[in-house]
Amino acid sequence: MRTNVAVLFGCLAILVAAMPVWAHHAFAAEFDAKKPIKLQGTVAKMEWINPHTWIHIDVKRPNGKVERWMIEGGPPNALYRRGFTKDSLPLGIEIIVEGFQAKDGSMRGNGRDLTLPNGRKLFLGSSGTGAPLDAKDGKDR
Amino acid sequence: MRNRSVAVVLTLAAAAGIAAFVLASAARNSTAAAASETNSYAAARTAWGDPDFQGVWRYEAVIALERPARFAGREFLTDAEIAQIEQTEKDQEARRLAGVEGEAVGRQSVAASPIRGNEYNSFWQDHGRPRKVYKQTSLITDPRDGRIPYTPDAQKADARAGARYGVGPYESYLDPDTGERCLTDGVTGMMWQGPNGGHNQIVQSPGYVTILHEEYRDRRIIPVDGRPHGKIRQWFGDSVGHWEGDTLVVDTTNFVDKTNYEWASIWTRPSETLHLVERFKRTDADTLEYTITVEDPMTFVKRWTAVIPISRIPDGAQIYEYACHEGNYAMPNLLSGARADAAKKTTGR
Repeated sequence: MRTNVAVLFGCLAILVAAMPVWAHHAFAAEFDAKKPIKLQGTVAKMEWINPHTWIHIDVKRPNGKVERWMIEGGPPNALYRRGFTKDSLPLGIEIIVEGFQAKDGSMRGNGRDLTLPNGRKLFLGSSGTGAPLDAKDGKDR
Repeated sequence: MRNRSVAVVLTLAAAAGIAAFVLASAARNSTAAAASETNSYAAARTAWGDPDFQGVWRYEAVIALERPARFAGREFLTDAEIAQIEQTEKDQEARRLAGVEGEAVGRQSVAASPIRGNEYNSFWQDHGRPRKVYKQTSLITDPRDGRIPYTPDAQKADARAGARYGVGPYESYLDPDTGERCLTDGVTGMMWQGPNGGHNQIVQSPGYVTILHEEYRDRRIIPVDGRPHGKIRQWFGDSVGHWEGDTLVVDTTNFVDKTNYEWASIWTRPSETLHLVERFKRTDADTLEYTITVEDPMTFVKRWTAVIPISRIPDGAQIYEYACHEGNYAMPNLLSGARADAAKKTTGR
């Protein structure tokens, strides 16, 4: 398992999902679409707060220095409806996060893709729709 | 020559108008026929005899508020188009369940749509159940072109709001959209908007209908006891309701003027002259036909109406908290982002 950091900036071809026009807030005001980031680190803290969750990860730089990054996630209610709970991301687990860095250059970013070290994306092939029905009717995988 | 051209254009326009009227009348008749068939649904009643709307509701349809250009001149989709959209929705759902993201599920790229949150993938979103396809080409049914009848000034304001949303300038905490400020996205779109929490819970008691909207935890307590409007102006105005058969009619006036704040969509902003009429009607056990008629000379040249199908979420569904200020890091982030942008311009780097 690689513990080195990969922080990649560059104009990558990013394939994304469109959200309804009315997001809670505007991505472009906070984050820089020209600064895609890819971070590998251990989960230090997960803030289950409104209007967006924030995952704190410790990222070890090649020089040994550890940086604490904050990654913005979806709203807690939406994640919960998708089956993402407090147990889904235990402290200390190593994850890879891809997203975009804050415009002010601080160690904050929004999270687009979240991958476990074994390469499995969280909830891949799992809770897909997130509606309350899913958890109860057994159709959910 | 020029006058003759104008005359020809006017004649053509008149002919088109007559044709449109004839077609529209035919469409209206067929809509009325369809409506009377669905009206056979006997609305459930509360213990005290009012039509029962209680439960959790969410908009799950795939209909644009304003009619997209490709459907111009048409109020309804063809059967073939409906089949095609249904297939697309089914395919997207299957891909989502398989964990496929991005362009593969038919989403736009960052380049195609660089702002407005398109950078988040669907992992972070609550999709709800597969979306439902209806015949309507727009939620707006009146005016018949399916477009919001903005005044010229409001049209400009809308263009300006669209251009600055997510871009700035952000000189102060007052500059972001009211939603970004954790206030509200307004009452006009509340029943069917809210990607971070589009659920609405309706609870009734004798003389009252209450609505709890998940995003921003917006809530309304609507008296249906025949009282007149009050005199206090508020963000959500002053709502009074009454029953017309199985339909709940809610009339709201006394909005406070917040047009000086930024609203991502201008049609959602209240002014003192806004008059909103909402109609709630169950067309079957799981569908609420929600109709809004919006009138405001400050923003629109005439009133407009949208008919919005809203779905009932099965029993046991819950509304969760949305304590927006709990961790609204967005505010400092976007202000510091704006300062970083400004510094870049100054230093040229």
